[in-house]
Amino acid sequence: MRQQYARRTQLIIAIMGFVAFAIIFQMVRIQNSSQAPDFLGLGDGFQYEWKTVFPDRGEIYDRNGHLLAGNKTVYEITVDLNTVKSPETIASTLSRELGSDYAMVLDQIQNPDPGIVSVTVANPVDQQDGLRLVELTNNDVTGDLRGLNFIKHPKRSYPENSLASNVIGYVNGDGLGYFGVEEKYNNILAGNAVPVAVPVDPNKVSEIPHIPNGTTLILTLNRDLQASAEKILDDAISKYGATRGTIVIMDPQTGELLTMASTRRMNLNQIWDYGSTFDNASDYNPAISIPYEPGSVLKILTMAAALDSGTVTPGTTYMDTGVIYVGGVPIQNWDRNPWGIQDMTGCLQHSLNVCMATLSTSMGATTFYSYMDKFGLGHLTGVDMGGEAAGRLKIPGDGDWYPVDLGTNAFGQGVAVTPIQIMTAASAIANHGNSVTPHVLYATVRHERQYKSDAVFSGSPISAQTADTLNEMLANSLEFEGSMALVEGYRIAGKTGTAQIPGEYETDATNASFIGWGPVDDPKFMIYVWLERPTASIWGSETAAPVFAQMAEKTILLLNIPPDSVRKQIAQQ
Amino acid sequence: MNIQNVNHLVHAYKVAPWRVQRQWIGTVLIVVIALAMISAIFLDVSSRTALAGREILALTASISTSQKNSGDLQTQLALLTSASVMEQRAQDLGFHAVETADMEYVIVPGYTAPSPKILSSSSVPQLSALSIPPEYNESLFEWLDKKLASSTRGQ
Repeated sequence: MRQQYARRTQLIIAIMGFVAFAIIFQMVRIQNSSQAPDFLGLGDGFQYEWKTVFPDRGEIYDRNGHLLAGNKTVYEITVDLNTVKSPETIASTLSRELGSDYAMVLDQIQNPDPGIVSVTVANPVDQQDGLRLVELTNNDVTGDLRGLNFIKHPKRSYPENSLASNVIGYVNGDGLGYFGVEEKYNNILAGNAVPVAVPVDPNKVSEIPHIPNGTTLILTLNRDLQASAEKILDDAISKYGATRGTIVIMDPQTGELLTMASTRRMNLNQIWDYGSTFDNASDYNPAISIPYEPGSVLKILTMAAALDSGTVTPGTTYMDTGVIYVGGVPIQNWDRNPWGIQDMTGCLQHSLNVCMATLSTSMGATTFYSYMDKFGLGHLTGVDMGGEAAGRLKIPGDGDWYPVDLGTNAFGQGVAVTPIQIMTAASAIANHGNSVTPHVLYATVRHERQYKSDAVFSGSPISAQTADTLNEMLANSLEFEGSMALVEGYRIAGKTGTAQIPGEYETDATNASFIGWGPVDDPKFMIYVWLERPTASIWGSETAAPVFAQMAEKTILLLNIPPDSVRKQIAQQ
Repeated sequence: MNIQNVNHLVHAYKVAPWRVQRQWIGTVLIVVIALAMISAIFLDVSSRTALAGREILALTASISTSQKNSGDLQTQLALLTSASVMEQRAQDLGFHAVETADMEYVIVPGYTAPSPKILSSSSVPQLSALSIPPEYNESLFEWLDKKLASSTRGQ
């Protein structure tokens, strides 16, 4: 009997040992089989939960820390068509609480497209309204609001509404930036939506990925100056009967854009107004997107080229007979009169077309166009906003270039430039021969660190000596003329521009412009004013120049620039 | 083991076989108890770690919610202090925009003009799960391994 038990025991041990061995063998075999990597991958797949993380879009601030674009949480309200009980109650509740159209909501719920199981009845809904509806739904004992679902999601918000809208741009419903810095810096603002593996095992909590939010931008804009510029521009358009206008303020020593105001503007929180506000995309920010014939403001570049090439000196005189023939075509002064003997300052002061055509023809096409090219005409400035246009500078050899263009281009006709191009070119005159790249990005904030965006010089089209000489000439010409652009206590350099609208060259339809900077010895601001088709007066000297003065006074106040006399006292100490 | 010891064991087994069996059983029991204790400690530590991990997950979600709420409030504050609102408030309080004629510049020795805003602060720690101390995510074996490694290095 005992022997029998012993055998049974041995048999059971043998069977169990065999089973154990078989299990171990199978485990080892599986671990080393050709499918082992697949099994391992399958196992790993259950250790993590894949999620797509959409980081918050970076904020946009002005240079003084005022929020220009932020994010807020909103609700999307949907109705689950499988569980909805009373469409009428839902429609009336949304109509009462959100002001929705009762009939439309009811129709959406009762007549959905085939195959649809859920319809969106309101989006975006402000957090306050959303929370109130959530509470109503939670307290609904009748169940009539059953089927309402609330989905939270972030939405771009612009606290300043239409302020600087031309510069900022906007974000559409899909989170894509359009125009301005929202478009230009979309990639770094948005961050990258990344699929991440979140470990299911709480022991692996250290592996939770940290997805940083989009980069925050600090712009060079000054909010208060921008608000003043927009107000001054709106008043000027109304006062002078212009159809459109632009005021741009830049620091000519760094290229920082302090203000870029244009009409029209739209409330960035109501992007559905885009279609009714703008006729086409280039209208969004005319300062960088609309090339136009600037007229006499371009004379400063012609004079710079003539001085730098040694064609003339400030004291060079010529006899103005009131007409010059270039390529067989007569070119006359703006008043069609001769101005007699003039020096180069007189040329600028009286804005003489004949003088400029004389200079460009004396230089020759090669030299003249070489300088215009170096000033960046016909090229993108590289300003960091979406939608910049390059303008057009015809040169000899182009099919549509004629010899007369050498004469007309010298005083800003037959050439198309954007305001930002003229400012970039003129920055060389204000800044001792070095032109700057205009930019609106002051710094970025990423991973709790602020990275400054430094000034970039785009070239030295003229020498420092030429720049300083021309600076003096332009300041003198304004003073001799008694220009309406002058600001008491501050020495300003600048030039008006009045150009007929190309095409039919209507005599009563002009683009009135003014470019100026100051204080002359240490320029802190450069202001460009462009008024399109002013009706109160066609002349830039009577429309754009006083707007410049008004804007310059405001700039001086907001930037705390002391009068020249005070600055000299400080310098002497 | 020499032959004398073997004979001694054989003799002892013949005299009282239960004594040797008890020794074996005792040894096995000690091993089982030791394993049970280690398992209990391991289970305890693991469960605590799991709880802490869950808590961290909940806190991470809470941080995310707080950040979103902070963003909402920041935007709301910006709305309340926007340029147009502030201008209107100033006007309502009887202020008017300053003109150049109102300004008087005084030379103040040592005055420096304010520079543009610096938004970042290096004193703010970066929120990241990587800063979780090892006590919250280290297993007992990892802890033992680390201690052994450090003591070996110490020698």
